Amino acid sequence: MRIGVEVGGTFTDLIVIADGVARVAKVPSTPDAPDRGAINAIDAADVDLTGVSDLVHGSTVATNAVLERKGGRVCVFVTRGTRDLLALQRHDRRAIYDLNYAKPEPIVSRQDICEIDERMAADGSVVEALDAERLDARVAQFLGVDLFDAVAICLLHSYTNPDHEQRVAAAVRRHAPNMPVTCSSDVSREFREYERASTTALAAFVRPAIEGYLDRLSNTLEARGFAGRFSIMQSNGGRIPADAMSKNPISALFSGPAAGVVGALGAAGRSDFKDIITLDMGGTSTDVSLISDGVPDLAPQTEIDGLPVRTPVIDIVTVGAGGGSIAWMDDGGLLRVGPQSAGAHPGPASYLRGGTEATVTDAHLVRGTLQAGSFLGGQMEVDAAAAATALAPLCERLALSVEELADSVIRIAESNIVRAIQQVSTERGRDPRDFALVPFGGAGPLHAARVAEELGIGTVVVPTNAGVLSAAGLLMSDYVHYRARTERTRLDAEALGTVLDRLQGLRHEATEYLRSVGVTETLTFQHILEMRYVGQAFEVSVPLAEDLSDLTADAISAAFSDAHHRVFEFSKPPGDPVEIVSFRIGARATANEFPVYQEPFAGGAGEDQEPGVIDIVEGGQTRACKLMPRNAIGLTELAGPLLVEDGTSTIYVPPGWHARRDDADSVILRQEG
Amino acid sequence: MAASSVDQAIINRSLIAATHEMGTKLIRSAHSPIVREAQDCSAAIIDREGRVVAQAELIPIQLGSITQTFAPCLSLYPPETLKEGDFFINNDPYHGGQHIQDIFLFSPIFFDGELLGFSASVVHHIDLGGGAPGLNPDAGDVHQEGLIFPPSKYNLDHDWNGGSFERLVAANVRMPEATIGDINAQFAANSIGAKRLQALAARYGRDIVSDAMDEMLNYSERRMRAAITGLPDGTYCAQAAMDDDGLGTTPVVVRAQVTIAGDAIHIGFDGTDPQVATNVNNPFASTFAAAVACAKSVLTDPDIPFNDGVSRVISVDAPLGSVLNPRPPAPVRARLLPSYRVFNAVMKALAQVAPDKVMAEGYDTTTPVCLSHLGEGGYNIYLEILGGGYGAGVDNDGCDGVDSPLSNCANIPIESLEMDYPFMRINEYALIPGSGGAGARRGGLGFERSYNIVQDGVQFATYGDRFTSPAQGLFGGANGAAAENYIVRGKETITLRSKTGCRLEAGDLLVVRTGGGGGYGPPEDRPAALHERDRSKGLERSK
Repeated sequence: MRIGVEVGGTFTDLIVIADGVARVAKVPSTPDAPDRGAINAIDAADVDLTGVSDLVHGSTVATNAVLERKGGRVCVFVTRGTRDLLALQRHDRRAIYDLNYAKPEPIVSRQDICEIDERMAADGSVVEALDAERLDARVAQFLGVDLFDAVAICLLHSYTNPDHEQRVAAAVRRHAPNMPVTCSSDVSREFREYERASTTALAAFVRPAIEGYLDRLSNTLEARGFAGRFSIMQSNGGRIPADAMSKNPISALFSGPAAGVVGALGAAGRSDFKDIITLDMGGTSTDVSLISDGVPDLAPQTEIDGLPVRTPVIDIVTVGAGGGSIAWMDDGGLLRVGPQSAGAHPGPASYLRGGTEATVTDAHLVRGTLQAGSFLGGQMEVDAAAAATALAPLCERLALSVEELADSVIRIAESNIVRAIQQVSTERGRDPRDFALVPFGGAGPLHAARVAEELGIGTVVVPTNAGVLSAAGLLMSDYVHYRARTERTRLDAEALGTVLDRLQGLRHEATEYLRSVGVTETLTFQHILEMRYVGQAFEVSVPLAEDLSDLTADAISAAFSDAHHRVFEFSKPPGDPVEIVSFRIGARATANEFPVYQEPFAGGAGEDQEPGVIDIVEGGQTRACKLMPRNAIGLTELAGPLLVEDGTSTIYVPPGWHARRDDADSVILRQEG
Repeated sequence: MAASSVDQAIINRSLIAATHEMGTKLIRSAHSPIVREAQDCSAAIIDREGRVVAQAELIPIQLGSITQTFAPCLSLYPPETLKEGDFFINNDPYHGGQHIQDIFLFSPIFFDGELLGFSASVVHHIDLGGGAPGLNPDAGDVHQEGLIFPPSKYNLDHDWNGGSFERLVAANVRMPEATIGDINAQFAANSIGAKRLQALAARYGRDIVSDAMDEMLNYSERRMRAAITGLPDGTYCAQAAMDDDGLGTTPVVVRAQVTIAGDAIHIGFDGTDPQVATNVNNPFASTFAAAVACAKSVLTDPDIPFNDGVSRVISVDAPLGSVLNPRPPAPVRARLLPSYRVFNAVMKALAQVAPDKVMAEGYDTTTPVCLSHLGEGGYNIYLEILGGGYGAGVDNDGCDGVDSPLSNCANIPIESLEMDYPFMRINEYALIPGSGGAGARRGGLGFERSYNIVQDGVQFATYGDRFTSPAQGLFGGANGAAAENYIVRGKETITLRSKTGCRLEAGDLLVVRTGGGGGYGPPEDRPAALHERDRSKGLERSK
């Protein structure tokens, strides 16, 4: 038996696969002690932990520790002269006309930063040596008062020579043997000191929170007889054994959205789609990402609360467009939707929990694309009249009927999602028309077809149990470990040997690492070169084939030229000098299993139920639309408009679209023509 | 044909997103650290009539007057004469440009053979020739400041990509690979803007998109007018001054008269001091951009898209022959110094009608540090833009250690800088505690950036300000700390003027200390909690 437990902001989802058959459970999250919600979910599903061989877990603990500033108190050691690295940041402003501008608040306060007398040059040579005695005295003085939970070390040019960082770490360990120490050269071995220091400080900051959380959870699990493998989702879309995660907790940030992407990839793969765009729409926001040939794009950097994080993450773009996004009119008379959200509390006006502002969900109730009886399979009560009341004030100001306004609100929310998809597709040099759209989350399948139309996408693949796909994604994930090495190498005929040697070395290191944390499965490898024209400062990722035996320098050069052209709309003539900046490999051990559901989550009316008919007002026209449960969709195509109730979500099939169910139990929407 | 309100909203946001993508890719594909790290560049989309409809929020001074820079190009080369691959170039301070280093490139965008609009990009180029590498502090006229490109038209296929114009440019600049690489990044950005606008036209139809672009201007205009309507009519006057012109010791004074009449504003500068012999003159385009940026920042929400609709509501003039509208061939390289005093004077005038929306004077001096070295491989030129402390507002301390309001350059990471410029190392980069003016809310802190010079024969040039007259507090707030530059050479400390250049040798330590912002409101009104926060962080003046 295997289980996946995903702790989200509002709900904790669980999936259990026993003898090839999956069941799901959904319980409220317990933000004060998220491990309690996880255990509640296990209880709700009535799982006997002694029979569980594999448990994969995803949570927002790391993310929340940063957002709520509830991590440990971190002491940061830096090179003399750089004590204000985290306060000065990059010296620019995100809002250029804002006179009250304030920078993102650093995660470490200024008095907790300690300068060390030392200096490296850019080539890794020592300009000022570390004096062992002075170092010890400085460390003792700073750590003497017992204030700190963790130590971060970020010295200039340590990406090229980590020796001084390692010696400072040793000094810290001598003084405080139990103190968790994080070196920047271990977290991100790349130049740009602010980004590296920010990442290192964040890693040190969330480490006590993650370690404490995982300790508590694994103790409880063990007490209940769990003796299987316990692994944690990472933001790169792979899992890692829980023990290893507590050493590099920064990779736990954004693991929730990553699990969803893996789930979508697995579900679409079963339906034979390998080029997909994922659309995960929940209550407050929508996450989108692009997957080409079964491999998600990775971004080298992301940010949290305005602070940069330099670690490979699935390239996910988030927009503030969710079911709870609020519609409003700005002082120029333009209708806007989001990014403010009514969230879980008070929620949309129609939830009758005290919300008064019109949200996307309210607009759907007015338009007809959500039916009052269908929330959470009919378990939740909503009031369509309250939705119309909430929209009324805007109708008056914009001189629109309530139906027109509802339709406009939804279209604007969808256009925000369209722009997010353009960011991961057209802006990265990919044509969205070459991809299928895979919606999930409570609201994804409701908007997918219209979003697809705007982008010229002709196929939408709605996975089973789309509302809990992230939990399923946990069990579909592989063990993944990325390793990179920065070493500027001019690409010429002699470079090939270096390329092969470095990639081979990284494969070896990654293999050793995964074996050391208990991953014994066969490994496959991804090879990536980060490249640029000599003189540029930002790299383009150039993926190579897994089999390197036919690789030539010319082939690398051609692959780079293509990749550069795709992103920047130009490339230079062949022969223009090109360099490799970093060598990167991904090692993957297959551990996934695809869930096959015995029965839908809820609201499972039988196939024999007569479809109802409702009115939907879209684009100024009122149309009769069939209302049916998911089971009523069969292998033959049905023509839209259809509204399909699917337990954890609702699928809207607009006019001009057809729906059928395929062998893998996904609902496939296809646009005519 | 009118776009529906929903199409309008979608096209609006799509155009703004397109300019952001242009800006991002310009930065990421550029070659010089001044573009790729410091991000001294901007991008915009212009309609057929030459009006800026959307722009990436990067550098306010570059963005405020793109229309003025574009207009002379369009009047020389009417739209019907343009074809695929054509581009306009302009950096002429006396024909709508700002200073020589900012090259504006405009590319026409066609859809089905008809002109749809233009994409525009502007980059601060590291070196365009002239009397000294990167920055000539001694220029007596604009000709000594670099190569002037008057408003002109070339073609990518015919003149660039190995063509005559490209070779002419390459032959006249000191770091041709960097300059040509950065210009190519501008072309790439323009081409992305074109693709995105064409895609919108294909999706919605040309007429709908054109109409939506008109409406975008009307929209910003409406929001700007709505913000002005509530202000009391009248003329409000204020002044601000630079320390000196770089040669003497007499302040150079900018005098502003801001007239609010109904839902429009006129900003005049009668009585402003005459133009000067050194490079601290402001081409009119810069005066316009600085005045408009200030009015927009004070009076409107940050989220109102800045386009020509905003400038329709604000008219600006400055007397010909003054430091804010000089006659040719006055040098103009340091135009941001008078631009900031325009910003300060307009702000102080507006403080009389909108005291809660303004801030005290900040350091407000974009301070370039130019260090160059001629080695066997040719010139290597470092240029970085330093800000300081922001002025305080009614409810917030000024931002510490940040670029000044009319600019928005990032710093160049120390690790990047030392990789590219082996003739120096950073000694210290840190805030200066206590440098913000005291007040109910304190001014932002200035910072120190100091350079260990490790090779002989490094040329230094800069233009700074606020050495003798620091940022003024507002409504009882105290002034910020003054700025200073000096060289430590052995046991000697050599004090430098604010606007200067000199030769440095190995072993020298060059120290640049920028100023703090002014405080807002009486210091005795400062909440104890804010005092305590600053004290515990060590941000108050050390004893």
